[in-house]
Amino acid sequence: MSLGLLLRLGIGLLVLAFFAYRFYGVLVRGAYGAETWARLAISGLIIGSVYAVIALGYTLVYGILFMINFAHGEVMMIGAFAGYFVLEAFAASGFSARQPVLAIIITFLAGMTVSMLVGISLERIAYRPLRGAPRLVPLISAIGASIFLQNAAQLMFGSMRRTYSNPPALERNVGWVLEVAGKPVSITYTGVLTFAFSVVLMVGLYLLVQRTRLGRAMRAVAENKEAAALMGVDVDRVIANTFAISGVLAGAAGVMWGLHNGIIYHYVGFIPGLKAFTAAVLGGIGNIPGAMLGGIVLGIAESLTPAVLDMPFQLKDVLAFAVLVLVLIFRPTGILGEVLAEEKV
Amino acid sequence: MGLRTGIRMGLIAAIVTIFLILIGVHMLMGRLLQSWFRVPAHWPGVWLMVVLLGMWAGSRAVGQMKARSWGNALLAGASAGIIQGALVGAALYLLASITQAGVDLRTWLNQMSKESIGALTLGFAPLPAAGFIGGVLLVSALAGAAWRERRLRVRAARLARGERMISLREHLLEIPAISQVSNNPLSRRVLIGVFMVLLLIAPFFLGQYWNYNLGTVGIYVILGLGLNIVVGMAGLLDLGYVAFFAVGAYTMALLTAPQPHHIQMSFWLALPIGIVLAAVAGILLGIPVLRMRGDYLAIVTLGFGEIIRILSKSDVLTGFTGGPRGVRNVGHPVLFGKDIGNEFYFFYFILIGVILAIIITRRLEHSRVGRAWRAMREDEKVSQAMGIYTLKYKLMAFAMGAALAGLSGAIFASRNSFTGPEDFVLLVSINVLALVIVGGMGSIPGVILGAFVLKGLPEMLRELEDYRVLVFGALLVVMMIVRPQGLWPASRVQLERPRPELAEEVEAPAELAEGEVGS
Amino acid sequence: MIILQLDHVTKQFGGLVAVSSVDLEVPQGSIFSIIGPNGAGKTTLFNCITGFYRPEAGRIIFDGVSLVGLRPDQIAALGIARTYQNIRLFGRMTAIENILVGQHSRLKSGLAGALFRLPRTRREEQEALDKAHQLLDFVGLSGYGDMFAHNLPYGQQRRLELARALASEPRLLLLDEPAAGMNPKETEELMAFIRRIRDELGLTILLIEHDMRVVMGISDIVAVLDFGEKICEGTPQEVRCNPRVIEAYLGKGAA
Repeated sequence: MSLGLLLRLGIGLLVLAFFAYRFYGVLVRGAYGAETWARLAISGLIIGSVYAVIALGYTLVYGILFMINFAHGEVMMIGAFAGYFVLEAFAASGFSARQPVLAIIITFLAGMTVSMLVGISLERIAYRPLRGAPRLVPLISAIGASIFLQNAAQLMFGSMRRTYSNPPALERNVGWVLEVAGKPVSITYTGVLTFAFSVVLMVGLYLLVQRTRLGRAMRAVAENKEAAALMGVDVDRVIANTFAISGVLAGAAGVMWGLHNGIIYHYVGFIPGLKAFTAAVLGGIGNIPGAMLGGIVLGIAESLTPAVLDMPFQLKDVLAFAVLVLVLIFRPTGILGEVLAEEKV
Repeated sequence: MGLRTGIRMGLIAAIVTIFLILIGVHMLMGRLLQSWFRVPAHWPGVWLMVVLLGMWAGSRAVGQMKARSWGNALLAGASAGIIQGALVGAALYLLASITQAGVDLRTWLNQMSKESIGALTLGFAPLPAAGFIGGVLLVSALAGAAWRERRLRVRAARLARGERMISLREHLLEIPAISQVSNNPLSRRVLIGVFMVLLLIAPFFLGQYWNYNLGTVGIYVILGLGLNIVVGMAGLLDLGYVAFFAVGAYTMALLTAPQPHHIQMSFWLALPIGIVLAAVAGILLGIPVLRMRGDYLAIVTLGFGEIIRILSKSDVLTGFTGGPRGVRNVGHPVLFGKDIGNEFYFFYFILIGVILAIIITRRLEHSRVGRAWRAMREDEKVSQAMGIYTLKYKLMAFAMGAALAGLSGAIFASRNSFTGPEDFVLLVSINVLALVIVGGMGSIPGVILGAFVLKGLPEMLRELEDYRVLVFGALLVVMMIVRPQGLWPASRVQLERPRPELAEEVEAPAELAEGEVGS
Repeated sequence: MIILQLDHVTKQFGGLVAVSSVDLEVPQGSIFSIIGPNGAGKTTLFNCITGFYRPEAGRIIFDGVSLVGLRPDQIAALGIARTYQNIRLFGRMTAIENILVGQHSRLKSGLAGALFRLPRTRREEQEALDKAHQLLDFVGLSGYGDMFAHNLPYGQQRRLELARALASEPRLLLLDEPAAGMNPKETEELMAFIRRIRDELGLTILLIEHDMRVVMGISDIVAVLDFGEKICEGTPQEVRCNPRVIEAYLGKGAA
């Protein structure tokens, strides 16, 4: 135990020293002005809120089944494609110019519905037959499903990158402009929409889990499946509903991703999926407010760290994974703590 | 009862069928049948898939039914078939009429070419075509339901008569010649000897192409045996296994290539260094992550694999690793002044590596170390209570697995004379994992079989090309559901010595042992 | 001589005190039973002794060595073995392999020994296998040695778990409800067996049990836990008559 502690202390000090050293260098050189920091923080906040919405899906499923739904990122990707096709049709027919608000709402609904269906089918086909199997079995099945969906999307939609045709009122990279230290910092409309909608989804989910019958059933199943079944809870249905909800969230995240970042392709769900899982662990898996916090913290961290460490921004993803590893070493239960039934000794 | 399960199954089957059509699997089946059985056209394969999917729906619906009766079975089959047929028919109608209107669907759906839809409509107008496919699905679903019901009845009757269900393996063992060989160590050795001789002379008869491909299979066998130690024996799901492959390959490349460093060491020196460095990397990576819960380990190792790939691709390390362009002119092995760096010699070289890996795995499996690994896999906490220092044994498993990956990586880089970031994509890890799982976790012959099936067969089935990875993914899911122990599961060791005074008692438990069921 | 001593051991989970300042002194060679209603903290106490839980307060001394802070495998190597309330065997390993794993801390060979098949390793393996056969006979499982543990019938699994625990040559054996799910005849056999291993192998036995016939029949000393506290300790007769015990089991007013 003491060796482990020493080791962790050592790694921690090294990381801290490295951080301090690089950050000092950046500050001394004055490499980035206040407006850059503000811009990075804002973009981190926006992307972080998308991670948070995806992370909620991981956390919900993990809290109930103790299983990493590896294919969750792919569910999000398919939602993004569904939204893309709807918007494409609206743009072609001129509908999104006439009724931008309605167009956006329908796009979101389409993405969320399709993702929900994918989530339900996924559970039904790849996970349900494996209930009660050893831990590794559903995890491998989930990995298989993830690979399958990714390649199916590549076959179905081709491997080219597609650009979301936002309604004219919601053009990308257009927005309000703030002034920070005399320099302009823009807050895009898509960013505001993403952030606001994320918050709505998070609050909605929290209320759903805390206040409704379904939420109560979900918490009961998470606590103890056998006991819940004895109490008359239909465990299969609750699990299916959980996958449906996490699919809806993933679909919303997919459309937000498309609207805000613009480009989608078959691989678009994979890395955000990994990061969202990181976010869920960071916040404490099984913990809904934790997933939100974790997502936003991770988003801001990955946006700021390359600048703080004075590293190329292409290493952003590496830093996000490094965060995951560090969290798991130092605080495996996450910032807000896990919400899981007690571990068997 | 039969109606509800039928409708539910029909819905699932419809989604699956439409999905498979949208990704063009029907055309793939058509092409496969064309090239395998020299079928003159692709429509037989296309419709074989349709029929099979219909039968699957009917048979699954019957399998899920609780009350057993012919009426129920046909009802379930019919309802599944009607739902599946109606939905697939509707989808086909939509696709066909859009195509007929002269719109090229491929702008949105890459596989929906005119031919692809034509194979399903068979030249009919959209409406009759939809009706036809619906009808075919309905008939197939009914057939599937009837088939399943009959099989279930036969099985129930046999059980009632007290007959035991026997597996394929037991069937095979009933054939005298096979049981003779499998029980007699001498004939087993002879068989292995003959196989070895065949392998030894094979490269003289196979061309460059097949020597190369068999070599690739061999490299994957080594990788699989390594991962088998980590996943199959120790139960640690490592998704970043490719990282150790990369360490071996880059060590070989950087030490022997003229660029970017001018070391140009001998292959024979670089090889052990690569293996050792990979093992060290395994331990270094293991120290921080092995305390984690099992499923976290999967995602962290995956993250590590991605870190390695992103780093090797980025410009940050260009000076050191050659960056995105990789390393060229990796050194070849030289023996007695002769460059033995072609497919022919590498075949033997890889063969030696494979044999080495087999010996290592076999010796470890039934040693104190291997038992500790397997105990850990079965129940980590109990294994601790039995005195196993799990952290140490996890690190050992990681190091051994990494060492084998390092070995194959080093050979791989030298054989290709090149290595670069694209050799180390996540897909390699997935490939290796898939072959271990398909073959049979913890089983040496299983891993070899898996490597041949997943790396060897696709070379023969060029048609599979774009669908290869898709099939891997599907295989992982299907194997987990249908046969989690793999194609060639690990066998039990026979350690108990027969004792004469116990001869009679031994009979009874042996009976019990046959009725092995996964728990 | 006292082989295991617990001194004010306390274990909490969050706000819940599972074990509260428990003192125990287990004499060498005794059969010592811990009884108490469900949730009284008996298994938690076992987990503290075997190192899976670290008590918040108190000392646990085994034959002069403090166990608090040691890892479970180190504690096992000191000579403490256990069985589980709900049998936990290594399911996809054979019965003999389970016993061989039980011998883990008594064996030495490592990676090199296995890879190069050193003579020392081979001799050790041979001896370990001999011993496994002896144990198989000892618990009456001869002929079942090559079966996967999860394919054994329930009663055999219980016996195999005992054999696995004995394989580590423990000086202290912790048994967690060994009679659970047994019929009266099997229980009778089990009691004889427990006595036999104490007498023949000379080990000390710490027992959690619900079956009062077992407890009263074979224990030298019985300690009663209720809500994590030790409410009484003594010979079976003394405990049986203690009003606090009756109250804990039957509720207030029954005494």
